[in-house]
Amino acid sequence: MTELVVENVEKWLGGLKILSGASFKAHKGRIVALLGASGSGKTTLLRCIAGLEQPEIGKIVIGGKTALDDKAGVALAPEEREIGLVFQSYALWPHRTVFENVAYGLKLRKRPTEEIKTRVEAILDKLGLAHLAARYPDQLSGGQQQRVAICRALVYEPKVLLLDEPLSNLDAKLREEARFWIRKLILELGICAIMVTHDQGEALAIADHVLLLKGGSIVQDGTPMQIYGRPNSFYAADFMGTNNVLAGAYEPQPDGTGIIRCDGWSLPGVWQDAEPPRDPSDIRAVVRVETVTVTPEPTETSQPLDVEGCIYLGDKWEYRLKRGSVRLRAQGTAALPADVAHCTVQPASTWLFNP
Amino acid sequence: MSLSNDAPRFRAGVILALFVMVAAPALLVIYQSVLDAPFFDDNVRFSLEAFRFVLTDPEFYRAFWTTTLYAFGMVLVAVPLGGILAFLITRTDLKGRKWLEPIVLVPMFLSSIVLAFGYTVSVGPSGFVTIAFKSIFGSAPWSIYTLPGIILIGGLSHVPTVYLYVASAMRRLPSDLEEAARTAGAGIWRVSLDVTLPMVLPALVFSAALNLLLGFETFGIPLVLGDPNGILVLTTYIYKVNTIFGAPTYQVMAAVTVFLILITLPLVFIQRRLLRHARRFAAVGGKGARTNLLKLGTTGQAIALSLIGLWLLVSVFFPVGGIVLRAFVETWGEGIKLTEQLTLANFRAVFEIPSLSRGILNTILLAGFGGAIAVAFYLLVGLAGHRNRGMSGTLLDYSVLLPRALPGLIVGLTFFWLFLFVPFLIPLRTTLISLLIAYIIVGLSYGLRIIQSTLLQVAPELEESARITGANVYRSWRDVVIPLVKPGLAGAWAMIMIVFLREYATGVYLMSSGTEVIGSLMVSLLTSGAMDQIAALSFISIALTAVGLTLALRLGAKIHD
Repeated sequence: MTELVVENVEKWLGGLKILSGASFKAHKGRIVALLGASGSGKTTLLRCIAGLEQPEIGKIVIGGKTALDDKAGVALAPEEREIGLVFQSYALWPHRTVFENVAYGLKLRKRPTEEIKTRVEAILDKLGLAHLAARYPDQLSGGQQQRVAICRALVYEPKVLLLDEPLSNLDAKLREEARFWIRKLILELGICAIMVTHDQGEALAIADHVLLLKGGSIVQDGTPMQIYGRPNSFYAADFMGTNNVLAGAYEPQPDGTGIIRCDGWSLPGVWQDAEPPRDPSDIRAVVRVETVTVTPEPTETSQPLDVEGCIYLGDKWEYRLKRGSVRLRAQGTAALPADVAHCTVQPASTWLFNP
Repeated sequence: MSLSNDAPRFRAGVILALFVMVAAPALLVIYQSVLDAPFFDDNVRFSLEAFRFVLTDPEFYRAFWTTTLYAFGMVLVAVPLGGILAFLITRTDLKGRKWLEPIVLVPMFLSSIVLAFGYTVSVGPSGFVTIAFKSIFGSAPWSIYTLPGIILIGGLSHVPTVYLYVASAMRRLPSDLEEAARTAGAGIWRVSLDVTLPMVLPALVFSAALNLLLGFETFGIPLVLGDPNGILVLTTYIYKVNTIFGAPTYQVMAAVTVFLILITLPLVFIQRRLLRHARRFAAVGGKGARTNLLKLGTTGQAIALSLIGLWLLVSVFFPVGGIVLRAFVETWGEGIKLTEQLTLANFRAVFEIPSLSRGILNTILLAGFGGAIAVAFYLLVGLAGHRNRGMSGTLLDYSVLLPRALPGLIVGLTFFWLFLFVPFLIPLRTTLISLLIAYIIVGLSYGLRIIQSTLLQVAPELEESARITGANVYRSWRDVVIPLVKPGLAGAWAMIMIVFLREYATGVYLMSSGTEVIGSLMVSLLTSGAMDQIAALSFISIALTAVGLTLALRLGAKIHD
C-alpha cells in the first residue's frame, strides 16, 4: 500500500534551487533511503515531507491525505501530517522524563491515561528501555537516547516514519548493531519509513529502496543491489564503494563492449551510462577496488604495474599501483614481494561512463 | 521561508501593539514640535516658531556643543579604560581577578543620578574627600563642576559597559588562533597586539558607538554636576526650558528632542550594523577554556593592580562610600569628627515625609511586580519574534530600535502627554500603570535582548519535534519553549528589576502625587537642595540594588552577553 507520494517537489532558497523536482513513492512495510553527499538536498526533502520546510512547488500525499499541493493551496502544518520524525540530534525534551517524552504524542491525541500508560510501556519494553522510563534524557547514553527518540516517533502509530541520519551520533560498533535492529523493527511493525543518510553502507544495509540525490534531484533509484551493482551514471558509480577512476578515450568494439585507452594503458569494459558517449575522446572508467586482482606472477590477462606501496589495514592489505599516468588501488591478503605486480581487471567490472 | 505562517495573527497582533506603543511617543514629539502651543490647546496652529526659537538661542548651541564634547570625551575615557580592564581580567594572570570582576561592574548597576550625587558628596567642593585632602595638603586641585570633571566622571561611570562587551569578545576568542600565532614564533605580547586586538576590535568599536549614544542621551550626571556652574547638555536644556520660560513650553522641548533624535537615530542604526559585524567575527566560534594566560610578573602585577585599585577608588569607593557616609551624618566640615556625628535623622526624615516613603514603596513595587509584568510582556514580544521570518519580524526589529533613540526623560514626557489626553488612558495616569508602561518601553531593547538570547538557546529541533508529534505552535511554546527558558526568565526578571530600580529620568514628568519613585524624587529634590533626603534615598537605592543584584546572581542571571 502506498503511504507516501512525493511529486515534483521544488524548493528555492532565495535564487538558489535546493530541490529541483523530486518525485518518488514509498510503501507500507518498506524502507526508503535518501542517500546523497552534503548539499544534495536530502535533508531538505525530508523536512519538506515533515512540513518543517515549505516547498514552492509540488505535491505530497501522506497516507492518502494531501499534505501539500501548491496548486490547490494546501500546506498542512507538521502536527497535522501524522508522521513521526527521529531527529539527528534525537531532540529529546530535556525537561521531561523518558516516559513523558514518549507519552507526549498520545497526550496530544487525548488518549485516556490508562491507554497512554500501557502503550508507552509496551513500546519502551519492546526497545529494552522499560527500566529507564523515569530517567531524564541527560542520564541516558547516546544509544539509549536514540531508542527513546524512535519510541517517541512510533508510539502514536504515524503513517510514515522519517529518520534523519539516525545512526550518525552512534559510535562505530553501536552503529552496526543499530542498522540491523532498526530494519528489523520497521519490518516487524510494517510501517513506511524514509531515512536520510550520507553513509552508503547504512543505506544499503537498512533500505529496501535507495534514492541517490545530487544537486536537489534524484539521479538514480533502485534496490541496494541495483544502486551498487548497476550504477547508470558516473556520479552514482563513483559515489558508491571505493573506486579506481580512470580518464581516457573510448573505443567501441564490434561485439558491443568497449575499450578505454589511457596514457600507456588500456582496459576492456562495458558502457554503463544511461546515455550514449557524448565525447568519445574523454570518458571515465570506474573500477571497484575489490574487483581488481593482483598477483606477484603474470597471468594470461594480467598487465604489469609498478608497486608504489602496500598499506596494512588489519583485515587486508591495500596496494597502490602505478603505470604511466594510471594509478590503481587494489586489495589483497599479503604484502607484495616485488617492485612490479600483475593485475587483472575483469571487463565486466570496468564500467564506462560519460564524465 | 519555512513556516512563516505559524501563528500569524498572534505575531502580527503583538508586534503591531508594540509598534503603536513605541511609535506613539516619537510621533507625538514630532507633531508637538511643529505647533505653536501645547498640542491639546484649543487654538493650536502649525508653526515653526519653536525651531526658530531654538535655532536662535545661543544656549541651545552651547548645550549642543557641550553634549558633543561630553559624548566624545566620555568615549575617549571609557573605551581605553574598559578595554584595558577587560584585557587584564580575562587575558592575564592578574591576582584576584575572580572577585574583581563583579566590583568592576558596580557603577553600571547604579543610577547615574546616585553616582553623580555620590561624587558631589565625596569629591565636590565640600565633599568628604576634598575636605580631608585640604586638611592635609592645604588645597584640593580639582573641581568636578567643570566640563572636564563631568566628562571624566561620565567616562568612568561607563567603563563597565565597555568592559562587558570587550571581555565577552575576549572570552569568545578561540584560543587556537592565538596558539597558532605563538607556534609561528610570536611572543605573547606580540600575539595580543597582532591577533587579540584585531579580533576584539569590532567589540571596541561597538562599545564606542554605544557610549556615544549614551553620551548624547545623558541626563543625570550633567544635571547634578553641571547645574551649579550652568553647564547644560541637550537633555538638561530640555529639562530647564520650563524654568527659562516660567511656563511649560512643550513645543520648544519637542523641537530640541527632534534635534536630539536626528543625532541618536543614526547612531542606533550604526550600532545595529556594527553589532551584526561583531557577531560575524564572534561566529568564528571556538570553545574550551583558555589555558594560556599572560604572565604579568611581579612588576606587572603591581602596576596592573594599582591601576585597577585607583580606578576602583575613584569609580566605586568615592561615590558609594560618600553616599554611605553622607546618609548617616547631617553636619560635617573641617575640624568636625565624623564619628561623633553619626545619626539616623536623615532616614527618619525620609520615612516621615509621605511622598518619600511612598516613593520607596512604589519603587519596590515597580521593580518587583512591574519587572515581572515587563518580563511577561517581553516574553510575548519575544515569542512573536521567535523564528519569525515574515514581514512582522522586520517591523519588530525596527520597533525595538526606536525607543533607544529617545532618552528616558522624553519617553516619560510623551507618555505623560498621552496619559493626559488620550481618553481611555486618563484614569491610569495617576496610577503606577502609567509609569510601568513607560518603563517597559524604556527597558524594551535591553529586556528583549535578554529574552531573545534565552529563547534562541532552545534548539530548533526541540520545537520541531513537538510539532511533528502533534502539537500546534502555541502548544509547542507552552510545553517545550517556556518550560525550557524558565530559569532564564527568572534571571531576566532580576536584571529588569535592577534596571527599573535605577531608573530616574522616565518618572520626572510622569510621576504624580501617589506614584513617586526614588530616582525621580531625587531629581525634583535637587531643585530644592534637600541634600539630607537625597543622601538617604541614594543609600536606600544602593541597598535595593544590592538586594536585586544578589537575587540576580542567585537566580543565575547572566550579566555577560
